[in-house]
Amino acid sequence: MKEKFRKIDVHSHVAWMTNGALKKWNTADLVEAADKLGIEKLLCSTPIIRGPSTMEMIRKCNEATYEAMKEYPDKILGYAFVDPGYFDEAIKEVERCVNELGMIGVKLYNQYRADEPVVLPLIRKTAEMQIPVLWHAGHPPSPEEALKWGQPRVSDGMHIAILAKRVPDAILINGHIGGGGDWEWSIKALRNVPNVYVDTSGSVVDEGMIEMCVRYLGAERVLFGTDLSMEAGVGKILGADLTNEQRELIFWKNIEDILRRRKT
Amino acid sequence: MIIDASAYIGHWPFRRLRYNTAEGLISLMDRNGIDKAIVSSINAVFYKNCQEGNEELAEEIEPYRDRLIPFATLNPKYIAWREDLERCVNDLGMKGLRLYPLYHRYSLLDPESRELLQEAAKRKLPVEIPVMLVDPRQHHWMDVDTQVSLNDILEAADKNLENTFIILNSKTADPVLERCKSGKPPKNIFIEMSRLTAVLNKSIQAVISCLGVEKVVFGTGIPFHYAKPALIKMEILDISEEEKEKIYWKNISKLINLS
Repeated sequence: MKEKFRKIDVHSHVAWMTNGALKKWNTADLVEAADKLGIEKLLCSTPIIRGPSTMEMIRKCNEATYEAMKEYPDKILGYAFVDPGYFDEAIKEVERCVNELGMIGVKLYNQYRADEPVVLPLIRKTAEMQIPVLWHAGHPPSPEEALKWGQPRVSDGMHIAILAKRVPDAILINGHIGGGGDWEWSIKALRNVPNVYVDTSGSVVDEGMIEMCVRYLGAERVLFGTDLSMEAGVGKILGADLTNEQRELIFWKNIEDILRRRKT
Repeated sequence: MIIDASAYIGHWPFRRLRYNTAEGLISLMDRNGIDKAIVSSINAVFYKNCQEGNEELAEEIEPYRDRLIPFATLNPKYIAWREDLERCVNDLGMKGLRLYPLYHRYSLLDPESRELLQEAAKRKLPVEIPVMLVDPRQHHWMDVDTQVSLNDILEAADKNLENTFIILNSKTADPVLERCKSGKPPKNIFIEMSRLTAVLNKSIQAVISCLGVEKVVFGTGIPFHYAKPALIKMEILDISEEEKEKIYWKNISKLINLS
């Protein structure tokens, strides 16, 4: 690419899927794509996105992420995926992934909503460790459509804001603001919770979306991500009405600041 | 030269759009190095009588006729579309059609659609079909909640071989690719590439292999979308510069007889 901003993608995934199959591409393709787009590092996870999640499956997911980290140590960083409903076991898995495997944060999917009390022990632990929690998020048009998505417990900005107020020293990331839900809803919900960031990933490239994130949250709380919509992810930051200083914050400086805060 | 096959002017009732006037669109095009754009009226999607939207569009773009190429929005189920078509082509200089079967609640296979398509074919007007205007996952409660099926467009294309269809704003080309795998590639389908990908799944390259580079056109979806994602896809696409030129402007120029 002609432009030369440093970029760290805070929302990516390795090629391995939870059913054991590979996507239509492999992790080498992911790295090649990142290189083409000037993405220096990919923060990856392997969440269970459908059906029950056993601890055995969860560990397999994290091993898949770890394999990719080992294969591309300069390119791929890992989030530990867990299901907060396993309480102590989930916390132990996070500790294993962070302390032994070198992962940098936690990825949560839709097993529980962010405002459910069940998630509190895990989130308090991440706050203690000062590691970021990337939360799969989106605001569906209606509860019926959330069901149609197969995601009755998907969190939106409002749920994440409730959690952020309960654990004010947690570092939370509202995942893929461009992931298909009502992004205006979630941005507005997060205005007054300084410990929540949004990542810009997802296939939605609506003009004005990034500007609204910056207007409501400040560029310091906006993080560049792709969630595998890689050209869309880079393009929306380059295409938005931003200063180059704001682009630098979003592309890499904010996440570097977050990662420096870790106590692990 | 870059020609955007997918641009719009007008008011979107469900979210504030910026740059949605002719002047605004031109400023976006300038910022992104886009020379010309095919535009249609967003208002015409929502007016019962689409023709008023077409009239507004013609007035709005008058100072920018050298850069904005108007397409007519017509509803084959609404009264007097034939007269409207005549007016759009003969008086307002419109070069093609943009159809919205979901918003206007008809099927491309309905008899009225066939009549409209036949009239379009007689005049050599390409027919653009945006499969969606916004992602249905974030639709407003009064908006449509799904997108036009590519299989429906393929079926209409099969039954109206004299027409040229351009699919806009589709995130997948899978049904088209399936047709190629089964040895029956559609002859009269073009695909606008803004929502396809140049990396990972590489759906742009898959469409090129399936239909040929001559059947792919550049688009952005401005002002609904940022233009940069589509431009970046073109920048990193692993094809020759000559092939890129075809996608950027040569293919669409042929369809609208741009001299």
